[in-house]
Amino acid sequence: MYRYDEFDETLVRERVAQFRDQVERRIAGALTEEEFVLIRQMNGLYLQLHAYMLRVAIPYGTLSARQMRQLALIADRHDRGYGHFTTRQNIQFNWPRLKEVADILDLLADVEMHCIQTSGNCIRNVTADHYAGVAADEIEDPRPTAELIRQWSSLHPEFSWLPRKFKIAVTGAAEDRAAIGVHDIGIRIVRGEAGETGYQVMVGGGLGRTPMIGKIVRDFLPRGELLSYLEAILRVYNLEGRRDNKYKARVKILVHELGVEAFTARVEEEFAALAGRGIDVDAEEIARIAAYFAPPAYETLPPVSEAFEAAKRDPDFARFARNNLFPHKVPGYTALTVSLKPIGKPPGDATADQMRVLADLAEAYSFGELRVTHVQNIVLPHVRLDDVPSVWAALVEAGLADANVGLITDIISCPGMDYCKLATARSIPIAEEISKRFADAERQALIGRLGIKISGCINACGHHHVGHIGILGLDKAGVENYQITLGGDPGDRTALGERLGPGIDGDEVPAAIERIVDLYLHLRTGDGEEFIDTLRRVGLDPFREALQPRETIRAAA
Amino acid sequence: MAGKRPALPLVLTANDLFGGEVVYFTRKGWSADRSRAFVAVDEAGADALEASLEEAIAAGEVVDPYLIDAGQAHYREQIRLTGPTIAYGEEALHVSL
Repeated sequence: MYRYDEFDETLVRERVAQFRDQVERRIAGALTEEEFVLIRQMNGLYLQLHAYMLRVAIPYGTLSARQMRQLALIADRHDRGYGHFTTRQNIQFNWPRLKEVADILDLLADVEMHCIQTSGNCIRNVTADHYAGVAADEIEDPRPTAELIRQWSSLHPEFSWLPRKFKIAVTGAAEDRAAIGVHDIGIRIVRGEAGETGYQVMVGGGLGRTPMIGKIVRDFLPRGELLSYLEAILRVYNLEGRRDNKYKARVKILVHELGVEAFTARVEEEFAALAGRGIDVDAEEIARIAAYFAPPAYETLPPVSEAFEAAKRDPDFARFARNNLFPHKVPGYTALTVSLKPIGKPPGDATADQMRVLADLAEAYSFGELRVTHVQNIVLPHVRLDDVPSVWAALVEAGLADANVGLITDIISCPGMDYCKLATARSIPIAEEISKRFADAERQALIGRLGIKISGCINACGHHHVGHIGILGLDKAGVENYQITLGGDPGDRTALGERLGPGIDGDEVPAAIERIVDLYLHLRTGDGEEFIDTLRRVGLDPFREALQPRETIRAAA
Repeated sequence: MAGKRPALPLVLTANDLFGGEVVYFTRKGWSADRSRAFVAVDEAGADALEASLEEAIAAGEVVDPYLIDAGQAHYREQIRLTGPTIAYGEEALHVSL
C-alpha cells in the first residue's frame, strides 16, 4: 500500500491549517460565501439538503485497517455514527459541523488521508479495479499506475481550474471492473508486441446529462510516456473545452464536437511538443512506486481447502461462498466481498461499529488491507480459503453477511433527495423497496446476475445509464417520477441503457421491476442465460408492456 | 439564489452556516422552527422578505437563502423540513455486537 512521504505529509498538514483559518474567517465575516464555497469544495466539503457533507478520498479504493478504524472514529466523534461508501470508491460523512471539519481533516491526516480534489473542477480521485493486485485475470496491478497519476494530478497548478470535473479510471485486468468506458479518461494496461506492458487510452466517456462511451485515442502507449500523454490530453481539454455552458463543459463534449480523429490529432500535436520536457518519470521511480504495492507474504497453500469445502454443508455459507468470493491469483486465497446491501436498508452505508469489525477482520485475515468497490461494497482482498468460515461467522454477527454480490439486490444508489441538494427525487427508498421485494435468496439465485442502478437526478451518480436496469428519479410537475432504462452495461461491452417508456410513480417502481424480471425469466434460454444477454437477444420491445400494470394495458386496449 | 419571486404566500429559507440545518426567516432572525417563519401574504410583505433575502446574501450569516411558496408543499421543501425520509445509521443498521 502506498505510504506518504514527508512532502505529502507537509502538504496535507499545511492544507488543514489553511482550511481551519479559512473557516474562522468565513465565520468572522472576512470571507463571503461566494469566496468560501470554492475553498470548501477544494477540501471536499459540500453543503447538502440538511447538512454539510464531507467526501474523503480513498485513492483507487485501497484502505488499511488503521484507516478504516479512523473513519469509524470520525463517524462516532463528528458524525451520526455511520458513513456512506460511494460509486467513486470514496466515503462521505453526511452530518459534519463546519467548525469541526478541520478537526476531521487532522484526524484524516493522522492516517495519511485527506479530502483534496474530491470536489471542484479538477482531476478527481483516481479509481481502479477493486480486485487490483489479486485478480486471476490481471496483466498487471493497476494501482502503481493510478498512484503515479495521483501524484502527478495532486494540486497540479495547470489543471486545478478545468472547465469541469475530470475522472480517470485504470484497469489492468482482462475483464473491466472499473467502468473505464464511462470515465473522462479510461486506461487499460495492455501488452505490446514484444510482451511489454503499456496503455490503451480512452477519452470522452461519461454519464450525467449527456452519457457517452469513451473513444480510444491510443491503442498502445509506452508506459514511460503516460504522464506527458495525459498532460497533453488535459492541456487540449483545458484550452479548448467549453466554459460557456456547464452542461457542455466535460471533455466528452469536446471529443464529440471535434470528432475523435481531430481530437486525437490535437492531443498528438501537444504530446509531441511536450516531448523532452521532463514530465515523465524514469523506470526507477516507477519501480519505487510499484514496490509499495508488492504482494503481501502469502503462504504456500493447496488450491483446495478442506475446511472451506466442509463448511459449505451449511446452505447459508454455501450461498455466501458462491456469490461473495472472487478467484485470487494465489492458490488457497480468495478475494472476499462484504456486501453493504442488506435487504431494505440504504445501499453503501456502514456504521462505525461495522467499520471496526471490517478493520479487525482485515487485520486478522487480509494482511490489514481493504478495498472500496464502485458498487458500494467492501472487499477483503487476501483471505485464506481456510479462514472464510471464520470471516463469515464474524460477518453474520455484524449484520454484514448478505450473500447478494452481483445479484438483483446488490443495488447501486446515489443518496438522492434524502440527502442531496441537487437531487430531483429520492433514490434510497426505491432501492430499499426493490430489495425487499426480491429478498428471497432462492429467487435471487434463480434470477442470477443483474445490476440495478438508481440515480436521483440527471447527474447520474448512481450510474443508472449503465445499469442492466437503470432507474432515474425526476421531478414531474411536483411529483417524483421514475424513468426505467434497460440494457446498460458498465463492463467490457460498455453500453448505455435505453428508455423503456414514460416515467412512472415511485410506488409503482418495484412492481414494474418485478414484471420485467418475470418476463426475463420467461424469455431466457434454458441454460440460465443472464438478463443482459436475453435483453441483447430479444431487444427492448417485449419488455415495454411490462412497464405498466396488466389492468392498465387491458383498459387501454 | 435570488430569481423570479414565487407566488404568495412567501417564506424565506436557507441553510444554517454552522451545521447546514434548514432554517427559516422569522421576525427575530433565523429559526429551525418552521412554524415561527415570517409569512408574507401580500405584496408589501413580499417586498420586505425580498429585502431580507438581499440582506441575508450580503451578510452571509446563512447559506443559500431563497424564497419559497409557503402555500405549496413541494416534496423537496417537505423533505427539507422533516429530514431524510429513511432510517439511517444505527437506527437502520444496528446489530448487537
